[in-house]
Parts: sequence; C-alpha cells; structure tokens
Amino acid sequence: MNTRHQPLYAYLLAALVMVGLSYGLPLLLPGDYIEAVYGSSQVVLDAEQEAQLRQELGGRKGFAAHLWGLVTLDWGHSLALQTPVSRLVLEALPWTLLLLGTAHLLALVLGFIAGVEAAWRRGGRLEKAGVGGATMLQGVPEIGSGVLLLLLFAYHLGWFPAGGATTAYAELSGGPWLLDVLHHLALPLLTLVLAYLPGNFLLTRAGMVMILGSPYLETARAKGLPPLRVRYVHAARNALLPVLTRFGLRLAFMITGALVVETIFAYPGLGTLLFTAIGSRDLPVIQAVVLLAALLMLLINLGLALLHRRLDPRIGHAL
Amino acid sequence: MSSALLRNLTIVSVFLLLLGGGPATTSYAGNETRTLKIADGRGDWGYPNPFLHYPRGVGYIRMSWVFDTLVWKDESGFIPALAQEWSYDPEHLAFTFKLNPKARWHDGEPLTAADVVFTVAYFQKHPYHWVMLDHVKEAKAIDRHTVTIFLTRPYAPFISNIGGIMPILPRHIWQEVSDPRNFNEPSAFIGSGPYVFKNFDQARGSYLYEAFADYYQGRPTAERLIYLRAGQPLVALTGGQADLANIRPEMAAQLRQRGFEIISDQRGWNKKLMINHRRAPFNERKFRQALAHAIDRREIIDRAHRGFGAPASYGLLSVDHPMYNPDTPDYPTDQAKARQLLEHLGYRADAQGYYHRDGRPLKVELLASTITAAGETAADRDGEVIRRQLNAVGIRVELVNLEQATTDSRVRNWQFDLALSGHGGIGGDPLILVEMISGEVGAGSVNSARFDDNPELARLLREQMTAMDPDERRRLVHRIQELHALEVPAIPLYYPDSLAAYQPAKGVRWFFTPGGIGKGVPIPQNKVSLLP
Repeated sequence: MNTRHQPLYAYLLAALVMVGLSYGLPLLLPGDYIEAVYGSSQVVLDAEQEAQLRQELGGRKGFAAHLWGLVTLDWGHSLALQTPVSRLVLEALPWTLLLLGTAHLLALVLGFIAGVEAAWRRGGRLEKAGVGGATMLQGVPEIGSGVLLLLLFAYHLGWFPAGGATTAYAELSGGPWLLDVLHHLALPLLTLVLAYLPGNFLLTRAGMVMILGSPYLETARAKGLPPLRVRYVHAARNALLPVLTRFGLRLAFMITGALVVETIFAYPGLGTLLFTAIGSRDLPVIQAVVLLAALLMLLINLGLALLHRRLDPRIGHAL
Repeated sequence: MSSALLRNLTIVSVFLLLLGGGPATTSYAGNETRTLKIADGRGDWGYPNPFLHYPRGVGYIRMSWVFDTLVWKDESGFIPALAQEWSYDPEHLAFTFKLNPKARWHDGEPLTAADVVFTVAYFQKHPYHWVMLDHVKEAKAIDRHTVTIFLTRPYAPFISNIGGIMPILPRHIWQEVSDPRNFNEPSAFIGSGPYVFKNFDQARGSYLYEAFADYYQGRPTAERLIYLRAGQPLVALTGGQADLANIRPEMAAQLRQRGFEIISDQRGWNKKLMINHRRAPFNERKFRQALAHAIDRREIIDRAHRGFGAPASYGLLSVDHPMYNPDTPDYPTDQAKARQLLEHLGYRADAQGYYHRDGRPLKVELLASTITAAGETAADRDGEVIRRQLNAVGIRVELVNLEQATTDSRVRNWQFDLALSGHGGIGGDPLILVEMISGEVGAGSVNSARFDDNPELARLLREQMTAMDPDERRRLVHRIQELHALEVPAIPLYYPDSLAAYQPAKGVRWFFTPGGIGKGVPIPQNKVSLLP
C-alpha cells in the first residue's frame, strides 16, 4: 500500500463507519414516528388503526436498502411530510451554509486581524480591553446572546424581524430580496459572530505574542522590512495554523452548531430540520442529516489535513 | 437537549421581556385587512388536507380553512356550515342534513349530497383518524341537497365529533384516489372552505391561503392569510410581522397597554400527573389518593407559573364544561392525611421521615419534559415542585427530565412510575372522558390513564356514548367524574391560563371557541372570525 494514500484510506473507512452509525444510532431513539406524533395528539388510535397506519407509512428500511438508497441518491421520504428527504435537505442546506459559513468566515477574518493587531500593541489599553472583552464574551452562550439581541433589536427597537430567513410571501426579487435576506440574517449572524470571534481573537493573539519574540522577526525588522509585512507575512502566518484548525473544527460542527441559533431565530436551516425531525422521530430525515453532518466533518478534517501540509511542510512528513 | 434549550430560552426571554420597557410598536397605515399573518413557534404542521395534516389540533386548524364540515362552532355553540339545518330521527337512528345549495368547491363544481355520501364511504375505507365512524352504517342522498347518515347504534357525540369535525371531500377528485397519504397534487387541496390553499413552504414552515371569492357564506374579509414560523411569536407580533399569536400570561398587561387586544380561553387544557397504576404501589387506590393529598396544586401554579392558572377538577372534565359535576370529590392538600393513608398501607417512616415497607424504601421516579399545548412548547418547573412536595410526606422522588417523545414512549409502554403530561379537549364533548380514561379506547394515547379496573366506571363510560338524551347523559357524566376522582388513575393538576393577543387595527375580532374548535382545539383561529 502506498503510504502517501494511507490517510485517504483511513478517511474512507471512517466514512463507511459513519454511514453505519448514521443509520443505526437514530434507531436507538426511544419511540417511533407514530408514537411521537399520534401519542399525545387529539387523535386516539386503537391497536388496529395503529397497525394499519404503520402499514400505510411503510416499514423501516433495512441497512442494505438504506445503503443502496444512498448510492442511488434516493434518501427516502419524510414520514411527516411525505416529501423526498433530499428535497428537504437541499432546501435547508443553503440557509445553513449562508448563516454558518458567513459567521465562521467573518469571525475568522475579524478575529485574526484583531488578534494580530492586539498582540502588536501588547500592553496597551486597547489590547487589555480587547482581551477582557473577548474573555467575557466567550463565556456568554449563544442562547443568552441570541435572546438578548432578539429582544433588544427586534422586540424593543423593532429594527430587525423576529425570525425566518425572508419575509413570507413578500414576492420580492433582485435587490429588495437581497436586502430582505440580509435584514433577516443580521441578528442570527451577529449572535454567531459574537460566539466565534472571541476564541479566534484570543488564539491569534496568544500565538502572535509567542512569535513576536522570535529571533527571525528581529532579523526581518533589521532588514528594514515594512512593519505591516513583518506583522502579517512573517509573524501572522505562523499564528494562522491553530486558528485555521479551530476554524475547521468549528465548521465541521456547522449543522449541529446551528441548532440553537436557528431555533431562536426560526431560521430554516438544517438545525431546525433536525430539531423538528428528532421531536417527531422522522427517521429518514434524522438519518440523512446526521450522515450529512458526519460526512461534512470528515471532509473538512481531510481538507484541513491537506491545508496544514501546505502551510507547514513539517506536517507533511508526519502525514 | 431540546427540553434544556427550551427551558433556558423561556426563562431568559420572559425575564428580559419583563425587565425591559415596552416593545417597539408598528403603526398600521389604514385598515390593512388585505393580509393577515399568524405566527407560531413550530410553523410546520403538514399539508392542509385530511390525510396529510399532522394529527395535533394545529394541523387540523391549518386544514379547516380549506375544508368545510357539515356543522361548525362559534362562541354560541353549533352553527350551520355546509348544512343549513339538521335533525335526528331516533326511530331510524338517522341524522338528516339539508345542505346549503350555494356551496361550491374551489374549482367551481357544485357541492351536493353525493359528496357527503362519498366522504362517509371514503373515510370508512381510508380512515381519517380525527373522526371515528364505528357507529355509522352508511350515508344516503335523499335529494341533491339532502343527506341522511344512518347509525348502527345511538352515538351521543355525533354532531360534535362527526358533523362538526368531518371535512367533506369532493367526490369528483377523490373517487380516483386509492392511496390518499401519497396524494398531494394541487387537486388534493380543493375544498369548500373560505380559503384556497396556495402554498406550504416546508423549510420555512409558512403557509399561504387566498380568499375563496365564491364562498357560500360570503367572501372572507382578508384576501390573504399567512402562517409563519417565529422562534418568539410574541416578538413577531409586536414587531408587526404577525397579527395574532399566543402569549404568556405575564405579558398581557404590557401588551394591552400597547393597544393589543388580549383574549383568554376557557379552562379546556389540563396538566396532569400520569400514574402507572399497573405497578405497585400505584395499583393501590389509597396510595394514589395519598399522592393527591400530598400534592399542593396551588403551590405548583404559584411557584412554577407565577400564579397564572387554576387547580383542575379531579373528575377530569373542565370546571367550565356544561356537564361539570360540582360535587366531584376533592383532595385538599393535607400532608398528615397523606401520611396516614401511607401508614394504613403498611409503610413506616424512618428517622428522617421517609417511608419503608417490607425493608424497602418508598422511592419513585418522576418523568418530566416540555409539553406542547396549543402548538407552543413551554418548559416549566412542575416536576421540581412535585418532587419537593412528595419528599415532604416521606416519598423519595427521583426527578428525570427527558425530551418529550422519550417520555411519551416510556409512558405508553408502561415503563414509568409517575410522569407529567397534559391534554386539551376537556371542555369539549364528554367523549374525551372515554378516550382519556378507558384502556380499550385510549390504548394509543400517552395522555390516557388506560384504567379499566373499576367495572362501574368502565360501564358508565360506554353507556354515556349512547345516551342521546342530554339529561341522561349529564347524569352518567356526573357519576363518571365522581368515580374518576375516587380512583384517581391520573391526577388532574391545573389549568394553565391560556391567552392570545392580536392587533385590533386589522379589523378582525379573534376569539377562543368554547369547548375548543372541532375536537376541543384550544386555539383562537376560528374561521368564523374572517367571515363577512
């Protein structure tokens, strides 16, 4: 076996395990769709009606059929909505990508720049305030900041809508539609940026502080390179690695990480889809979202490993 | 995860809402009745037709805009809908309905007696679980606009639970449909109701309906009706994104000051303590009675709900129900009495006051979870208060907080000691007593006590279903309440205050329907509000 490809085989094996787990784990949830949806509803079923309903909804797919379904891109139908799962996932995925992707990128870029600048101004008032503020913010859970922002900007000030991704049935297009999307995106995005940014800031700053004392930077300064170049090209590049790792790990939890914020702001992403599906034991939907989350995590990990190899050649030898 | 999340959300938001001043209010330019928006926390309740809506009441309401029934309810009771008038012939066990000749389907076809005959036969073949047709023999068209439904035996809840709930289907569409659960073509949503279904966005949990211009009771007052999902429906209401939403009682005064109209429901929903009466020691009536004496329901309301609620009748039927029995036995909070009953059963207290019997400590598990009422899910601290109260009389309690579907599954499979639960319908037809007490009928419900140990109770539950004379039925229902209170197969705890707020500037007056819509749905979205 070519050792260069060993990690890829490991990822492939992990992906197969994920497929098995995403099928098997949701089956361990207590109760099933009929119990969860009909059990506490206004409808009272007798044993015969329940059996008939189960028959109408179709039996549980075996693992072989599930696997074949994945290969042929037939992910089954939602029990609740009688709609192809792939359609539900594809409708929700863009909103999660928009919200989480933008939040992670903004938090990465802003956190990184702020961290570099703070380390450069080490000991200054601004740096102290930044570190204090970020440490405090890091302790605030998304649920707290999200509700706070919602109540301040939506309830009291009325500047932003209470939830959703667009104004329902507003029939907008082009620029007004985009503005409407951004208007709805603002509060959940701000909540997530506030949650992710402090960690990136503190990590970058700590990394930079250690690097700033390195002899090679003295050399760079002695050569008369402009401070901005010394700061970002020579120093910050080496502080980037842990931040990128953190970015990747957080991004890998994109789907499940969005659950809380999507719920607070009724944002129509995969987190909301998963949350609702678990509550009603809609197994095909749960299995699909769990699998997607797991594969996404693998894919991002693989991407990170490759990126690390490029950024730090020493890692290449370890891989 | 879900219960912890919801609990935290609720606590944080209520605290902040109360802390802050008033909300930003949206001004309405003129009388904007063209579009009405209703917000709820979940949004998605299935497609609005009988076979695709979710079985909870909110799903039924979504469908009720599109499909009309023979009879409907408003604040005064039963009113004509597709049927202008109806009568009962006891000799032939037959209900005859005179249909409104102006009724049309959304595609313009006339609605006739043949559609009603078809609907009954179709639901007998493909059951619509909101309507039980076990007592129905057949339906026959007498003429184009007169239909008679024959029963196999008397059925007292007929008008409320068949005439008032069964959506009438268009024969010309459904006669070709053999698999109704997989039928979601646009024609699957052609009804005869005041609104035409236009769209359901599954991802966003939003619905769009448009007024049916040829509606037989006149064109609805709002052109468009929109449902939308909002994490916090109250914020959507005050921000002007919604015109009607359920609210928490503590917000009422502040919203009233801001010009919102506040409406409150009758006591038609109760929180209750499920008891596994198939397992010792709960299979002993005296033990269940001891629990009832030990639990201070007023304290639960005060501590966990800021006083917004009222203790429930031990007879299960709501105190606002016309057949409520005021002489239903009561269990005043009395720790001494609870201890006395336990000691009578052979329990002995140790030095700390905790009971033992046969060398084993008296220790029970209490399951708690978030409960969905009227489409909204709210967390509370009822379990913590009850644990403390039972501890105080010497019963050790292990409180286990679980996600609702997990609790439901354990209750349904009798894998529990005590569990907190709740349901509506107790202000509607007394059929609810059968469903929530009898094991034979309520086998599939996690809210049903499924208690058949008292032969008199079991017999009366059956008899009241066939008592067509209201006075006779009242007598039977009164006795059922007494027996339920005596046996306490589950303990009705309290009726939480149920409120909604709406924007009066929209020119629509929303109301809670006494006894609930259809099968007791405690939601103020009665289509009568939007009729001219």
